[in-house]
Amino acid sequence: MAKPTSDDIKTLIEQFEQSDWKEVHVKTDNFELYLSENPKSSGPPSAIASQSTSAASQTFDSDDTSPTAVVPVPEASKAVLPEGMIAVTAPNLGTFYSAPKPGAPPYVEVGQNVSAETEVCLIEVMKLFTPVKAGVSGVIREICVSDGQMVEYEQLLVVIEPS
Amino acid sequence: MTIKRVFVANRGEIAVRIIRAAHALGIEVVQGVSLADRDSMAPKMADRTVVIGPAQAKDSYLDVRTVVHAAKSTGCDALHPGYGFLSERAELARVCVEEGIIFVGPKAQVIEDLGDKLRAREIAERSGIASVPGSGHVESPAAALVAANEIGFPVVMKASAGGGGRGMFVARSSDDLKESFARASGEALEAFGDGTLYLERYIENARHVEVQIAGDGQGNAVHFGERDCSVQRRYQKVVEEAPCVLMSNPLRKKLHKAAVKLVSSLNYSNVGTVEFLFDVERDEFYFIEVNTRIQVEHPVTEQVTGYDLVQMQFRLAAGEENALPLQKAIGISRHAIECRLNAEDAYNNFAPSPGRIKEWGPAQGAGIRVDSHCYSGYLVPPFYDSMIGKIVVTGPDRSSTVRRLQTALEDFRIEGLVCNLQLLREIVAHPDFKDNSFHTRWLEQDMLPVFELAKK
Repeated sequence: MAKPTSDDIKTLIEQFEQSDWKEVHVKTDNFELYLSENPKSSGPPSAIASQSTSAASQTFDSDDTSPTAVVPVPEASKAVLPEGMIAVTAPNLGTFYSAPKPGAPPYVEVGQNVSAETEVCLIEVMKLFTPVKAGVSGVIREICVSDGQMVEYEQLLVVIEPS
Repeated sequence: MTIKRVFVANRGEIAVRIIRAAHALGIEVVQGVSLADRDSMAPKMADRTVVIGPAQAKDSYLDVRTVVHAAKSTGCDALHPGYGFLSERAELARVCVEEGIIFVGPKAQVIEDLGDKLRAREIAERSGIASVPGSGHVESPAAALVAANEIGFPVVMKASAGGGGRGMFVARSSDDLKESFARASGEALEAFGDGTLYLERYIENARHVEVQIAGDGQGNAVHFGERDCSVQRRYQKVVEEAPCVLMSNPLRKKLHKAAVKLVSSLNYSNVGTVEFLFDVERDEFYFIEVNTRIQVEHPVTEQVTGYDLVQMQFRLAAGEENALPLQKAIGISRHAIECRLNAEDAYNNFAPSPGRIKEWGPAQGAGIRVDSHCYSGYLVPPFYDSMIGKIVVTGPDRSSTVRRLQTALEDFRIEGLVCNLQLLREIVAHPDFKDNSFHTRWLEQDMLPVFELAKK
């Protein structure tokens, strides 16, 4: 088999990032490529590990319902997570709610200990509310979205330092 | 323009086309994209982009609630569905209205009625437009013969339970019919577990002809002439043109009138297309269906009439006065032909061939229009339709337009990606295409077998 070109590899990586796959391992006589979603993956020997990139690289103004001026979205907070931190991202596009109902205390606050099952927020799409769980036990280090803000698919919501 | 900000719930070339039309009218654009399309052309042009879901269309472009939620929370007052995806989903039109968003398209009820094939046929019949003549179930060769004589030979026997061409037999005479009835019934039984047959008139030399219409929702409607889309593969159009020069003027007038009558009877709003089968030998046309959206091939109509149909969609949706032109103002001059560029391997059973375009070198020159979202370095993702663009060529008449199209296709350069460019070149250079002597099965039956053989 011919050696893949850099374009081939680039294409593979992009397709991997856009897919639901957890990892990809390609091995031929003269070539080996290992891609994993898990930043902690040690991978197979002599592997290239690709850190999963956060999809939501943009921040948004909260709901501006008056159709007057569109603010161009700055390509801000390229969401580089500090070493060892875990990101909780939006499972779908919707409105972010930090508390179960208006006026109620928030699900979580910075500094709070959470378990994998702890609910950290609600995402609402057309009156359908989906709770989002921490997914890992640890300490909440940052809440990146404000209450009532629209979030996009895979946008960074909460940063947790795993215990 | 009362519409201030539109949400584009589509991708690819049509998203780009809609953004251009919106900006020309001073409308701001919020582009909804899947994760796979975040770095594509439309987000670069839009005023704002939101990621509505993952690459899989089912959870992004096909999710009604997510799309409307995104439109609403970004302050959009209108939504354009493009073609494909949710464009003919009545639910989208309905939810938009419930949420106070203008849907750029017909009313939900009209989409629903015309989307139901049987109901659409009834609506057409009420306007005096016939569908292809056919029979009910025929149980015996004798019953088939009676039905066939009523319809007129040739007829095609079809399996009631079937589809996709299996169990289909053409009979050109009563002897033919008697001979093949048992075989057709047997094959239907074997393929579908049911040997029941029905008959339909067999149109040897059929052209796919469609009429572009627009309505204001008050019962006023106009047409923008017809398109001929007879170069097809598996019911997918490959080359489309306007006008259909094969049709006589009296029949053409009748066709336009029929289309306008049908949509007027529904108080149709926005643009749409009434599709017909044109039986060249009998000089008759039959109703197929109505598409309640902008179509892929709309540019050929724009080229020969001079109207911008997507801008018109916005004007009609906004309820602008005089958004609908007067029929007498719409004239058809010149000829236009469109070819669809697809990322598919024509030499390998049309397998989709996504990948990175190394070099995108569209043809340029007088009378050449390329509608595309592609550029050098663009990655055609594997998740969606394989269409990468449309080349539309316009000229004073059909033969000069074919020559111009030939040159344009020769000049077009696409590198790094397998696509159907060579096939398009050979279709357009084919004597049958030049002579305008082909029918809806020509590409599959006559042209492609030779094309594939030549490669081997």
